[in-house]
Amino acid sequence: MLARNAAWLALLLIPAAARAQGGPFDIALFNTPQSPSATGQARLVFAPGVMDVAVTADGRARYDARVTIAGLPAPRTLGPYTAYVAWAVTPDLTQWHRLGAVHNGVSMVGTADFNKFLLVITAEASAAPEAHHGPVVLHGTSPSGWLQNFTTHPLFRGVY
Amino acid sequence: MMMRGIAGLGLALALAAAPAAAQQKPPVKPPPKPAMKPLPGDTGMAGMKMGADTGMAGMDMGGDTMQMAMPIPMPKGMIMMPGLRNLLPPVTPFLPGEGVDPGTLPLARPSQLTPMKNGDTLDLTAMLVRRVVKGHTYVMYGYNGESPGPLIRVPQNATIIVKFHNAIDLPTTVHWHGLRQDNRYDGVPGVTQAPVAPGDSFTYKVHFPDAGVYWYHPHVREDIEQAMGLFGNMLVDSPDSNYYSPANAEQALIFDDLLINDDTLIPFGKEAPDFALMGRVGNVLLVNSEPRYSLHVHQGEVVRFYLTNTASSRTFNLSFGGAPIKVVASEVSRFEHEEMTPSVVLAPAQRYVVQVRFPKPGTYALVNAIQAINHFQGEFQAEVDTLGLITVDSTPASPDYARQFAELRTNRAVIADIDKYRPYFDKKPDKTFTLTIRPRALPLATVQFMNVDTAYFAPVEWVDGMPDMNWLSTSKQVKWIIRDDATGKEDMDIDWHVKQGSVIKLRIFNDPKSFHPMQHPIHLHGQRMLVVARDGVRVANLSWKDTVIIPVGSTVDLLIDASNPGAWMLHCHIAEHLGSGMMTVLHVDPR
Repeated sequence: MLARNAAWLALLLIPAAARAQGGPFDIALFNTPQSPSATGQARLVFAPGVMDVAVTADGRARYDARVTIAGLPAPRTLGPYTAYVAWAVTPDLTQWHRLGAVHNGVSMVGTADFNKFLLVITAEASAAPEAHHGPVVLHGTSPSGWLQNFTTHPLFRGVY
Repeated sequence: MMMRGIAGLGLALALAAAPAAAQQKPPVKPPPKPAMKPLPGDTGMAGMKMGADTGMAGMDMGGDTMQMAMPIPMPKGMIMMPGLRNLLPPVTPFLPGEGVDPGTLPLARPSQLTPMKNGDTLDLTAMLVRRVVKGHTYVMYGYNGESPGPLIRVPQNATIIVKFHNAIDLPTTVHWHGLRQDNRYDGVPGVTQAPVAPGDSFTYKVHFPDAGVYWYHPHVREDIEQAMGLFGNMLVDSPDSNYYSPANAEQALIFDDLLINDDTLIPFGKEAPDFALMGRVGNVLLVNSEPRYSLHVHQGEVVRFYLTNTASSRTFNLSFGGAPIKVVASEVSRFEHEEMTPSVVLAPAQRYVVQVRFPKPGTYALVNAIQAINHFQGEFQAEVDTLGLITVDSTPASPDYARQFAELRTNRAVIADIDKYRPYFDKKPDKTFTLTIRPRALPLATVQFMNVDTAYFAPVEWVDGMPDMNWLSTSKQVKWIIRDDATGKEDMDIDWHVKQGSVIKLRIFNDPKSFHPMQHPIHLHGQRMLVVARDGVRVANLSWKDTVIIPVGSTVDLLIDASNPGAWMLHCHIAEHLGSGMMTVLHVDPR
């Protein structure tokens, strides 16, 4: 239980080094104690469609994710699991949307349409579970998650 | 005739006013005498050098700077940054028709359907008009006293003569956007013609080789002239009566916006465009130059909408109150396959042909729905603007095209045409460009804010989240750049020649690490192009285009059918980015 909570805490305390280096599409993935040797990254690409950019009717971007992973152990080494699954998760962790199964190497999954989201990879009993149950092995934050609240910045308080 | 299949329906605002006589020339009032001398220079003109850097924006508060009695409107909940208060853009304010009594000007009329056939002649005059927007009267521009300008409707492969006269207070030209026609009539000052001075005329020979929806607008100081009303649509009809699936009605809709504070238009920069960072994003959204669009249809009717964005900077995300939208064509051709879409993303200069079916009686709202970013709170905020209402009565559609609407057609002629180009899809790029920006002496507060606000830039900015900084930036402080990666040359210094008949792969990267990354709707004149890949992912359903959105951080691969000889502009269609130098020329040398 403690380990599980620690994993969630890690999800929320993303180090500054995780800032997207390639622009608004790149997500650095960080491992957890369940998968200390795993590394990964994801690149968001607009979902296929006839428009130049894919958005919902209310304007949220619709992204697929090209997930590149190395060092994941076989799922069964973590418990009764057979697959790794990528999820788009709202920052408050209340909504989980399954993107698809991923593996070591490159996997294309989709589609996420949250304004801000965490990209979470879990070990699961099947490749298409209805809900997440297994441990988190990798996680990252959509670049939009780096939006910061500036209201307390000195610039806006007239303090220099 | 194009209105076939339209039964007892109140047609589009744009089309309903069609004169019964097909060749009737729309009435044109005598052009008013230009109200003031032409501007000393045209900073948006191709090939012209920007003026010397005049120093820090807003620091020169002499009598020649913009005297604003009011601040610019700020988004709800946002304040002007303390470091920017009391600063002014270092340009002289300009609005059309200075010193002219608006009462002496003709009230702008709605666009008139102007059918033309091969060999016909159109007299087209750019002139001052009086427009009433939300109860307030403004002096603006229009073609032939209309806003939008005349809706020119021609058969495919027609050629018409347009006798153009400039009766506004600025030099101008007419660019026939999207047409693959004779380079001499492309309307680009400094490249294909000299600007038409106030009081002067120019005769264009306009050819329409491709079916679809196109538009015309000035190519001089678009930030002023286009924003103030100089634009109009052209509909080009295929001889194939089955070119589009059937519809009960047609509507040509032009989307635009105006920046107004209370009852006052925000002036433009006389010597140089202001709002150079993001372009001028208006706060009053318009459809066919009116703030509220309306349409009445019968239950189950299918309406074919020709959608055009003539705004300086705003990208729209349009939908029809949940009514299903079928996309059939973009700018220069139909798609290989018709597709349903939840909304239509329409960047400046882009066009789409969509068909919408209204299945139930009631009211459907035409909306622009986007996710704005509140940079102060670090949050997304949903914004919805209702642009119009479609009222659906309970009379059943006749004929009923429900079955045809449900069918998603495959356009084999489009596929066969594109097949000739597929062998080039994976070729190595012939040219790679990077889009970026070079700031010059912007206000310190602007620079500081940019430094702390670069954690995230949205791939597409739907609204102006920084109007204070944007307003204070002019093309004197901002240089937008198309950089040739191979040579390092920029904008008009790029020397780009290809042979007529060649198929060119152009890769464009929008640098997310620039001082102010932003999406760019890149437009290529006089040719057609395919967007074959976005961010390394092959585009599955193609159509020929002339304008493509390149989001922040994205890489787009374009395959250009360089079949039309001449010197053709490639530029960002955000008017202020173009006015800040973001343009180059593709020279297609004759075989």
